[in-house]
Amino acid sequence: MYHSHHSASLVKGLFLASAVALGGVASAADALRIGFHAPLTGFAAGDGKSSSLGAELAAEQINAAGGCDGRMVELVIYDDQAKADQAIPAANKILGEGVKVAISGSYSGATRAAAGVFQKAGIPFISAYAIHPDITRTGDHVFRTSFMGEVQGRAGAKFVGEMLGHQRVVMITLNNDFGQSLATGFREKADDFGVEVVSEYSYSIKDRQFGSIVAGVKRDAPDAIYASGYFFTAGPLVSQLRAGGVEAPIIGQEGYDTQHFIDIAKAAAEGVMITTSLDRDSEDPEMRAFIDAFETKAGFPADMVAAATHTAVRVMCDAVARAGGEDPSAVREALAATKDFATATGRVSFNALGEIMKDVEIQIVKDGAYRHFARIHDPELLAPPSE
Amino acid sequence: MFHLELLVVGLIWGAMYAMMALGLTLVYGLLRILHVAHAGVFALGAYAGVLTANATGSLWLAVPAAIGVSAAVGPLIYRFIYAPMLSRPPYVALIASIGLFIAMEDGFRLLFGPYGLPFDHNPWFVTTYDLGGIHLNAVQIAMAVSTLVLAAAFGAFVSATRIGVAWRATVSDPQMAQSFGIDPVRVRYLNFAIGSAMAGAAGLLVGLLNNLVEPGMGAVVSYKGLAIIVLGGLGNVPGAVVASLLLGVVESFGTVYLSAVLDRDAIAFAVLIAVLLIRPRGLFASAR
Repeated sequence: MYHSHHSASLVKGLFLASAVALGGVASAADALRIGFHAPLTGFAAGDGKSSSLGAELAAEQINAAGGCDGRMVELVIYDDQAKADQAIPAANKILGEGVKVAISGSYSGATRAAAGVFQKAGIPFISAYAIHPDITRTGDHVFRTSFMGEVQGRAGAKFVGEMLGHQRVVMITLNNDFGQSLATGFREKADDFGVEVVSEYSYSIKDRQFGSIVAGVKRDAPDAIYASGYFFTAGPLVSQLRAGGVEAPIIGQEGYDTQHFIDIAKAAAEGVMITTSLDRDSEDPEMRAFIDAFETKAGFPADMVAAATHTAVRVMCDAVARAGGEDPSAVREALAATKDFATATGRVSFNALGEIMKDVEIQIVKDGAYRHFARIHDPELLAPPSE
Repeated sequence: MFHLELLVVGLIWGAMYAMMALGLTLVYGLLRILHVAHAGVFALGAYAGVLTANATGSLWLAVPAAIGVSAAVGPLIYRFIYAPMLSRPPYVALIASIGLFIAMEDGFRLLFGPYGLPFDHNPWFVTTYDLGGIHLNAVQIAMAVSTLVLAAAFGAFVSATRIGVAWRATVSDPQMAQSFGIDPVRVRYLNFAIGSAMAGAAGLLVGLLNNLVEPGMGAVVSYKGLAIIVLGGLGNVPGAVVASLLLGVVESFGTVYLSAVLDRDAIAFAVLIAVLLIRPRGLFASAR
């Protein structure tokens, strides 16, 4: 159902784009079809919507500018409910459509499962924002255009310990692939930056009530709180910490990176800082163009998830163009050779494992919006594993 | 102090479970149906509340909206889903109930979007009281107070009013009650209206506490509600209330002391399994 819905809107998009840019030269027959799976239903449907919108925006922009090496981009979208057991059939349906390149617009569990299917079929595959380390280790056809969880966790430790100078830190960890990878990176580097983890609490993705964690944090009286989560858990968590009288600075990550977080937490969100890759105050033309166009298309401000899928579609299209077609092994080689490609989330280059190398952006909530706070340039600390 | 705060937090959360579980256990007592879609009514109450509050700017208007819409929809669920299936085995109604719950979740998502709806203004959440170092906000206090009031009112209703007595009679022996001139269908409608009103109120309060009303917000209370009514002895109203409070407190302490081993939801089911091993008919099995 989703597929036909999206195809319909894409056909409309194609029509418009070809009418404007190419005078009707391109036809659907030689379109570049990109497989895309995302949680369109279920608990992560919010992120699934943002991720689809980001990918669709990239396709529309590419098509309006004449297409990908002259071919119109068409997304083949399937729902995975952010679940591993749904991602495998979704990936197989994408393969069944005869698609030659694919992108995950989903969470780690689903992306790990889909990566296995695409790797086995020899299809080049990009994980747009799923952060679990095992994703790229699935094989040589799997790439990632966002930070690995560990890398972002290490950046968090440097930010909290070295840049903010906090020593006693409480960790509140979301108990899934996302939260655990972040926590691993943070713990691994905590000592190096003089951070002592005084206690760590964990919660499940279904939790919205954090009364007992708030009580624990009050007892611990830390200098700062390193809390992982998505907007729908972080919003209630941050509100409840502040309502419970906890005043310590809260440091989050890219899971917070959407206006929806601020809409939920409201005044309590003020001063919250996050590690991410989207800089709202960027002067970079690629980032600016994305931020402005997204808000026009979606009707709400850009978020990290949308920027990530927008990036992945553009990186894939660039590789297909350089490969001169969608022959899977040629596209894989072209992806691996991607060098300093400018995107909405910064310049993209891959290491031998298919991991991205780039700076970490720190944003802070000020007057109800995310603003630039700092940037961490530390290639040694932020180096992802290469095998 | 810390433990006292955990206890208070747990009791308040248990009070919310109690508001949910009351309706579930009443439906079970009367019809022997596991009313999973009760959790959909919970989310419906929250949506009715948040939409009203954001449209009018008044949280006070959200309360009758949440309660009224839920109280109206509960009897409709009985009329159009359960009533036609009463002659079938109970699992037929259970499957229909699960289906209705999924349909409601997806309906909310399609109608009101996947991101959920926050309250534009939530003064009750930010109004906090410092009770000897324990910070409680007005929503938490409202949750505790409304559960107490509802439980007391319900107790008075079933023991002191004529229709309440008719209700108890119908629960314990429907045929005998009918032969004494009680209309069992009226009792069922009343049952669904009251149980659903409480679920809607609980949904609104949880929405206010999270400052977020989401399509999937009923999921957790749906299966925990079932665990609670089993713990309390199926169909046993006081048992369900005690089991709710117990579960709230166990979760509150468990989140801090057991979270490295078990998450909050797993704790609920570990307790359920432990109790059922010792007392297979629940903590407070009814005499029947």
